[in-house]
Amino acid sequence: MTESSGSKLLNGEACQRTLRGKNAGKNGFVKNHCVFEHPRKYRRPTERSQNAAPNSSLYKKPFSESFEETPLLVAVLTYMGYGILTIFGYFRDFLRHWNIEKCHIAHEREQQKDFVPLYQDFENFYTRNLYMRIRDNWNRPICSVPGAKVDLVERVTHNYNWTFEHTGKVVKDVINMGSYNYLGFAENAGACASAAIETTHAYGVGVASTRCEIGNLDIHEELEQLVARFLGVESSMAFGMGFATNSMNIPALTGKGCLILSDELNHASLVLGARLSGSTIRVFKHNNMQSLEKLLRDAIAHGQPRTHRPWKKILIVVEGIYSMEGSIVRLPEVIALKKRYKAYLYLDEAHSIGALGPNGRGVVDYFGLDPKDVDIMMGTFTKSFGAAGGYIGGRKELIDYLRCHSHSALYATSMSPPVAQQIISSMKIIMGEDGSTLGKDRLRQLSENTTYFRRKLREMGFIIYGNDDSPVVPLMLYMPAKIGAFGREMLKRNIGTVVVGFPATPIIESRARFCVSAAHTREMLDTVSLVNLQTPSSDPLHDGRVMGVRRSRRSNL
Amino acid sequence: MNVGTAHSEVNPNTRVMNSRGMWLSYTLSIGLLHHILLSIPFVSVPVVWTLTNMIHNLCMYLLLHTVKGTPFQTPDQGKARLLTHWEQMDYGVQFTASQRVSYLLTSFYTKYDRVHFVVNTVSLLTVLIPKLPQLHGVRIFGINKY
Repeated sequence: MTESSGSKLLNGEACQRTLRGKNAGKNGFVKNHCVFEHPRKYRRPTERSQNAAPNSSLYKKPFSESFEETPLLVAVLTYMGYGILTIFGYFRDFLRHWNIEKCHIAHEREQQKDFVPLYQDFENFYTRNLYMRIRDNWNRPICSVPGAKVDLVERVTHNYNWTFEHTGKVVKDVINMGSYNYLGFAENAGACASAAIETTHAYGVGVASTRCEIGNLDIHEELEQLVARFLGVESSMAFGMGFATNSMNIPALTGKGCLILSDELNHASLVLGARLSGSTIRVFKHNNMQSLEKLLRDAIAHGQPRTHRPWKKILIVVEGIYSMEGSIVRLPEVIALKKRYKAYLYLDEAHSIGALGPNGRGVVDYFGLDPKDVDIMMGTFTKSFGAAGGYIGGRKELIDYLRCHSHSALYATSMSPPVAQQIISSMKIIMGEDGSTLGKDRLRQLSENTTYFRRKLREMGFIIYGNDDSPVVPLMLYMPAKIGAFGREMLKRNIGTVVVGFPATPIIESRARFCVSAAHTREMLDTVSLVNLQTPSSDPLHDGRVMGVRRSRRSNL
Repeated sequence: MNVGTAHSEVNPNTRVMNSRGMWLSYTLSIGLLHHILLSIPFVSVPVVWTLTNMIHNLCMYLLLHTVKGTPFQTPDQGKARLLTHWEQMDYGVQFTASQRVSYLLTSFYTKYDRVHFVVNTVSLLTVLIPKLPQLHGVRIFGINKY
């Protein structure tokens, strides 16, 4: 739709430079000028780990990630599991059809049976036959602040998870391994909470208008200046909702005739924003710089699909920490590529802001890079700051443009004042401007907890995905029955976790995801890792390796 | 329940057949079926091979070419609702290879008896023809349209 000034010039220049810059060798053959050649011809077939960075000169410290491939036996058993569940699903559908079993789902009335179906029967297959059986692991109502420990509302079901009843009791002090509470700012007492209460008395809770109309408060301006200082950019803008920051701003930045190169595992908000913008989207393999470089070269060399005109803009969209894999983006290499091929970079730091880096300034700080290299720095306040909302930071012209053209600024209500105050207080604590060392202590505690927890689980032999420094720890479960069993057994032992399976993840990669927090103590982490090892009381055969799938042979990691 | 939140693939059905170990599980399950059929006492070996071939082709036809759509709601606004699984997949060359192998083995074991040959060939054709790219989205006589 619209584009920022100066972009046309850059990309036009880039196109010509590529054509002129290549020197034809003998017989007109142009040698490959790839920045990142394929480093090794032979790769160990059992691990698709990306341990060795091909350009290690760009990294100041070792970058170690691993995504161990599913063992073959486990994959076969997982398919068998899904196969058996599918057969049973068809069987029970048959029973429901002939009214032998009670049918709880919505279906049309008798008079409407010949109309075009309103409820697509088959689309509901997975939900009613697989999801419903283990539905008690999700949407658990909590009734306290989601800190290191949380209180859950106890609920029972008398018809196998179709309906729930609250017993009136509360399960107290469940260790919370599911909340994105990386720095422990989800609390209802302390400096942040008091400041938020005062702001509620001063401003109220609702704003009742959009930023462009009459909803632009002085507290928003203060927040935006603080965020810009925190990130090290010229200017920034804050929005009321993190998801909406992505889905409403990417359409304002790119449009038809632009190209978006997005990572395979990007979040739904980025995917939605990219699709809403109307640009061409090309997906590169997760964190794979060769794939990204190939796409960039092809895009610049061939131009737009049919007309072969140069692209108006090329935007690379990556995330800081990918929340389902626990991997960290290879930012130094992405920036090197971006500079070489003159593309723009959109970095979504939803999980990494406040959680990575010696000063908590995110993945840019973690790698020791210059924030001015990233064109658009986006992030959310939901995770490390204990608030809600998102921000975009960058050059002044960009943010001024967004203030007028962002869909969110024009149509969505602005951020609530106590939430803005919570962000201001927590950000000041992290930066150390409140005069105490609380921020530094919490950052250090998070980093220690992460290292300790990951090391402990690895030593026990579990298969963990992701980077060694990421506070998001996915523990692989693989089989569908384990998803339900793991969630329930953890809750019985007073630990709350998030489990996720197909179709949210690939079919053989179901996992449980732990989010380490600075508020967790070492005892809590010990409890959690020991519980992972515990056997169900009635099963003497499985000596210590039941829930998570353990690595049997590899001991050199 | 969220479909595809951990990756940007809006229809996970397209990737299921490419997953690791799928080929092995498929071979194992055919082997299992064959052994179960072999253990029926009064059926001779050629008939068992023909039966395996027929049942395998029938199941494959039902699962890949009859059932349409996805068993979960996808965020692509129902683009795949009228497509069979075969049409949703990006490629599946190994499945046609397996059918050819199965057909050849069956022909060998039935010692090229005429009746068996006819039955097996018909069964093979019912599964091979829908896989041709010319038949992508074609519904003969309007069968299985909605």
